[in-house]
Amino acid sequence: MIGATNTIILSMELSFPSELGYEKVARDAVAAFARRLGFDRERIEDLKTALGEACINAIEHGNGRAPGLHVAVSCVSEGELLTIEVRDNGLQRYQGSSIEAGIDMKLQGLAPLRGMGLMMIAQLVDEAGFTESQDGGNHFRLVLHRRAG
Amino acid sequence: MRPAQLWLKTSVGRTEDGVESMAMANNDAEHSERVIELRLPSRLGYEKVAMDAASSLARRMGFDSDRVEALRTALSEAVTNAIEHGNAHDAAMKVMVMLTVRPDGLVISVADQGRKQLDQDKTVLTPRIEDSFTKEDKGGWGIWLIRELMDEVEFSTAPTGGNQIRMVIHLER
Repeated sequence: MIGATNTIILSMELSFPSELGYEKVARDAVAAFARRLGFDRERIEDLKTALGEACINAIEHGNGRAPGLHVAVSCVSEGELLTIEVRDNGLQRYQGSSIEAGIDMKLQGLAPLRGMGLMMIAQLVDEAGFTESQDGGNHFRLVLHRRAG
Repeated sequence: MRPAQLWLKTSVGRTEDGVESMAMANNDAEHSERVIELRLPSRLGYEKVAMDAASSLARRMGFDSDRVEALRTALSEAVTNAIEHGNAHDAAMKVMVMLTVRPDGLVISVADQGRKQLDQDKTVLTPRIEDSFTKEDKGGWGIWLIRELMDEVEFSTAPTGGNQIRMVIHLER
């Protein structure tokens, strides 16, 4: 394993009030972090869009837009991987989507519009999804590989 | 373009431009200040994360571009001081940046973990350009610059024992 012993881990954390608009500050902060790590501009734009969606979900659903509740974002860079986790207080827990409807069905009004943000996020980053949490909140993880195929 | 996203989100009242709502929201509820917290690694270059977060916030609060640039420069000086001096370049040590949105301005505080305490003289003395030519230590200009650029500046010891600087930039309406 090349670099197994000298893999540099760099991390940052951020928290902001659950009010629409603040997710843009989070997007700009994380974009600056990714830029320092050497991600290219196009990947950073994708990351910003995906992170914005994840933060809006946390603000609106997980924290019910209560400004007193904060959304926490942590970023860890290890080797070629950048892992970002968005955490909320879980006022509303993600239940998973019961119907696997495609975007066409949603656009034609044949399926609920909910879940389009998650569909889009999945297209923009290398891995995305909710993870197990012990604290009752929703934990949403986004992973980017620096050299994506 | 992201039509799907716009369509979905406008239905729940999302504004494309969160601009004024941020500072205005505080007028409605002044008891609840809005705070953004950042914890950064002590590595030079990562001050840019704080600069971009603060300028993103300040622009949305309605500061004009000159003031936003002044804020970026002052914050850059404060965070690099924390990285280089307070945390002595130890990447495992964090720099804490707190941005507090008020109806009349933005309060920015930067704290380090105090590997090295800031010499109090450095916070009050005005450096002289003549001395810089002759003295070995050419420092001291960062704090001077911060004082020139920000409306209020205060130095203290953070609850964690590190050095803390609190800066305020007023919103003129």
